Amino acid sequence: MAFNLTRRRFLQSASLAAASIPLSKVVSAETGFVQSPLEPKGSLKEETVTGGICEMCFWRCQLVGKKRDGRLIKLEGNPKSIDNGTSICARGNAGIKLLYDPDRLKYPLKNVGERGKPVWKRISWEEALQECSTRLKGVVDKYGPQGIAVFPHGSTAKYPMHFFERTVGTHNVSEASFFQCRGIRDTAYWATIGKAPGENVDMPNAKAIMLLGSHIGENVHVSHVKSFIKGLQNGSKLIVVDPRYSAAAAKSDIWVKIKPGTDTAFLLAIMNYLVKNEKYDVDFIDEWADGFDEFAEGIADWSFEKAAKECNVPAEQIKAVADMLADNAPNVSIHPGRHVSWYGNDFQRQRSLACLTGLLGAYYVKGGWVPGIKPKVGKTSWAKHDHGDEHNLNYNEDEELRHPYTPPGTPTELIRDAALTGKPYPIKGCVIWGQNPIQTIPGQEKMKDVLRQMDFVMCVDVMPTDATMWADILLPEASYLERYDMVKTGTQWDFSEKHQQFITARMPLVEPMFERRDNVYITNAIAKGMGHAEEIPVKTVEEMVEKNLAVAGLSLAQLKKEDGIHIRDGKDPYGVPEDFEVLLYNEDIEDAGFPGIPTYVPVDPPPAGYARLLYGRVPVHTFNRTQNNAWLNFAMPDNPVWINDETAEKLGLQDGDTVGLINSEGFKSRTTTTVKVTPGIRKDSVYMAHGYGSANPLLSVGVNAGVDDQSLITKIAVDPETGAHGMRNNFVKLIKDGKVLDIPA
Amino acid sequence: MQYGMIIDLERCVGCHACTIACKAEWEVPVEYGRNWVRRLGPSLVQGEMASTYYPGLCNHCTEPPCVEECPADYEEMTFTDPKTGETVTLEVAATWKDPFDGTVQIDKARCLGCGACADVCPYSARYVNPDLVDDMSEDGKADKCTLCKPRVDAGSLPACVQTCITNARIFGDLDDPDSEVAQYLNKGAAGIEPVDGELGPNIKYYGRKKDVDLLLGTSTPELVDVGPIRRRAMLAALGSGAKKSLRNVGLLGLAGALLASTQTKGESNDE
Repeated sequence: MAFNLTRRRFLQSASLAAASIPLSKVVSAETGFVQSPLEPKGSLKEETVTGGICEMCFWRCQLVGKKRDGRLIKLEGNPKSIDNGTSICARGNAGIKLLYDPDRLKYPLKNVGERGKPVWKRISWEEALQECSTRLKGVVDKYGPQGIAVFPHGSTAKYPMHFFERTVGTHNVSEASFFQCRGIRDTAYWATIGKAPGENVDMPNAKAIMLLGSHIGENVHVSHVKSFIKGLQNGSKLIVVDPRYSAAAAKSDIWVKIKPGTDTAFLLAIMNYLVKNEKYDVDFIDEWADGFDEFAEGIADWSFEKAAKECNVPAEQIKAVADMLADNAPNVSIHPGRHVSWYGNDFQRQRSLACLTGLLGAYYVKGGWVPGIKPKVGKTSWAKHDHGDEHNLNYNEDEELRHPYTPPGTPTELIRDAALTGKPYPIKGCVIWGQNPIQTIPGQEKMKDVLRQMDFVMCVDVMPTDATMWADILLPEASYLERYDMVKTGTQWDFSEKHQQFITARMPLVEPMFERRDNVYITNAIAKGMGHAEEIPVKTVEEMVEKNLAVAGLSLAQLKKEDGIHIRDGKDPYGVPEDFEVLLYNEDIEDAGFPGIPTYVPVDPPPAGYARLLYGRVPVHTFNRTQNNAWLNFAMPDNPVWINDETAEKLGLQDGDTVGLINSEGFKSRTTTTVKVTPGIRKDSVYMAHGYGSANPLLSVGVNAGVDDQSLITKIAVDPETGAHGMRNNFVKLIKDGKVLDIPA
Repeated sequence: MQYGMIIDLERCVGCHACTIACKAEWEVPVEYGRNWVRRLGPSLVQGEMASTYYPGLCNHCTEPPCVEECPADYEEMTFTDPKTGETVTLEVAATWKDPFDGTVQIDKARCLGCGACADVCPYSARYVNPDLVDDMSEDGKADKCTLCKPRVDAGSLPACVQTCITNARIFGDLDDPDSEVAQYLNKGAAGIEPVDGELGPNIKYYGRKKDVDLLLGTSTPELVDVGPIRRRAMLAALGSGAKKSLRNVGLLGLAGALLASTQTKGESNDE
């Protein structure tokens, strides 16, 4: 201390400043220089604008904006929200970096180069819309409406999707959120309990939670993470079944390091044990379940030992899981998952989860599967018409459904195969709206071939993506912060608190800059151009929102008065509804030619020298959509490939080494990433975050950041019941310094 | 009174909401951070698999080494107790520890931008922000977490705490036994003290034993050897003083500078 004081005195006397002129307060006599403020002002006292709904992901947290000089400087959770409250995640916080991203699409563009290697020319909206309508109409005139394929994603894509599906009349609509994500879950539960399950597990009030592959924490949906953590804080046990020690596994009581693809075997053994030992909820099953005897008989072979061998985990651990679930039943959250298009055997796994929930009596009870009771609002869109099933690719020659449990739309692979073969008919027009089929759908080269053979491709997006490189016409959409849009409803997330419902609508926090336009404007103009002016349901997006709100007795003006969110009393969601039924054995599935009792279908193991490629999320990115966000990129600039520490040692790999990847079909990653060496992953698998490695050079931040895992997912699996993709059946080796490394067994 | 923060690792999911909210609130340049989140593990901790996070920020140490190293001139500053209104006047350099709320703050206008404080911080909680330049420093200004003092003084929460999606960050007065943060101290929440250090970090971590072990095992820093930093700071102060004086004073010399400094306000208002 004394030394310091002495030193400081020395410095003071030694420097010119010792003449006691604080230099910062000197204005240069020569230049008149006045310093700029060095302290940022902070957002607290800035103007607050309400009515925002986030769309950095699709959970849709409610926002307020902080505005300075007409510019949004910060986003926060809307304090009035009973959903996310004042919290928003990293992506939500980084929304302003999307809003003002200099790489954003600004004007309508025409590709005067070639698809995949675009040369962009700025054109007027008039010209762009005319070209879109004329070219799409040309496709319809020549090939029929079925000649158009639509790849939509996000809240703004619904309106144009409905136009092409309902008004123009094509079945060939493939939503990534269904066919490469959660569609299997929804239809498997629908075939078991008659409802899509959402992620409606009452985790805050559970005594045990089981996650199968769900990596909550790396997968961030704010109120869902709140529910999860609240449950754990309230003392819930946690079981995490995952080949990797995920963020969620790190909080678990039991981590089941399962062999990928074998989850159904694991679930069947648990269910068989519960049945055989009468540890299931006998009363619940008697009252609400159907097909118990067939079910019990059908799974009777599944001993712990049999499953242990299949799943490569100890039999005692499976028993420990089964007992933990039984001991805490019925207050058990069996999480239905979200992204479940894994192995092409996924419908049966999702059915197993739904059946297990039933055996535990865990429907509509505290801590179980409990959907909140939401208020009703309108769903204004294009009028529905019956276009028949003649051109529905999901019907075979005998007019039977190829994939009877398909989610809404047409399975992606059927659309792509028709496009490439021209059979049963050509598909020559393509509308890509908010989706990035190049990095969403397995078989990247196949997707490119599909796009190459089109007569016309149009894309609408906020940012350039790897898909927009394939457009003939590229239209800039207003972002979620600049437009009216969807109506969102919900309830409070902890059902032990006062029951409440909320209704909110997305309202712009700022005006759109440059020439960005909304979905209704764009779709209506195309509809007019294609001769459907008479059928246009709303003139503006505000009108659509007003109509939807009116159903709930609300208006935009009223919502604005209520700080963006209308809150009303809710209803108690507990208690099994009269018409509820759990179909443990489903005869209809059997009649359609598939197992009516949950059945394990093994998947191919990795060939010698390869590891299975697993992928998942990181909390700061929504797959590819956020890759160019400067703040989020800085937080996680690449997607390290997780490799088992013992394997790494054998390969001479160190944490942080730079590697590329090559898959068993010879597809090599275009870029490289780093290695994460950890005991927290199985030896037969490697793992990386999905959505990195964009190829579009217009993404100045995100281009070539990390490795595009989708480029390595070339072996295409299709779940037979649903037609949705399975994306975890690809096998890779690592490449270091140009040398391909065999993964030891 | 000592403001501080609890990081509850049982609740933290490593989502980075805190780091991004801070960037927005305080206009932190993209490649810097006033706070950070590092994922630790998965690793074996005493034979048990563990993975947790190191959400870090300025520790607003009880004995902050950064304050000692600031070579800027002392100036009188008057501090006010936010609770009682009591004031005290101290002579401080360009960075100091607030005698009432215990936070460590920087006067960027007086900062020389030498970076000594940043270099001496064992937690690397400070950086020199190159966006903040003036006639005193072309290299930028020392910058770091203020525990959102302007927000807190106005009755609000720090931006990172407000946005935290699981309430894993809890702000409060560690000296107030009734505060939530003090309750955590009773439960064993502890700061990350550098090896052989006695800095008294006031960001306290709470979690399961294996997670805290992983945090301390991977993230306990060494104290920084201050010798070279002091020599450099000294030179910086000398050089900076001379350089800035010449530039500001120009041909007028010292007397002119004095004159200018007394007339500053009036002149700029006239413009």
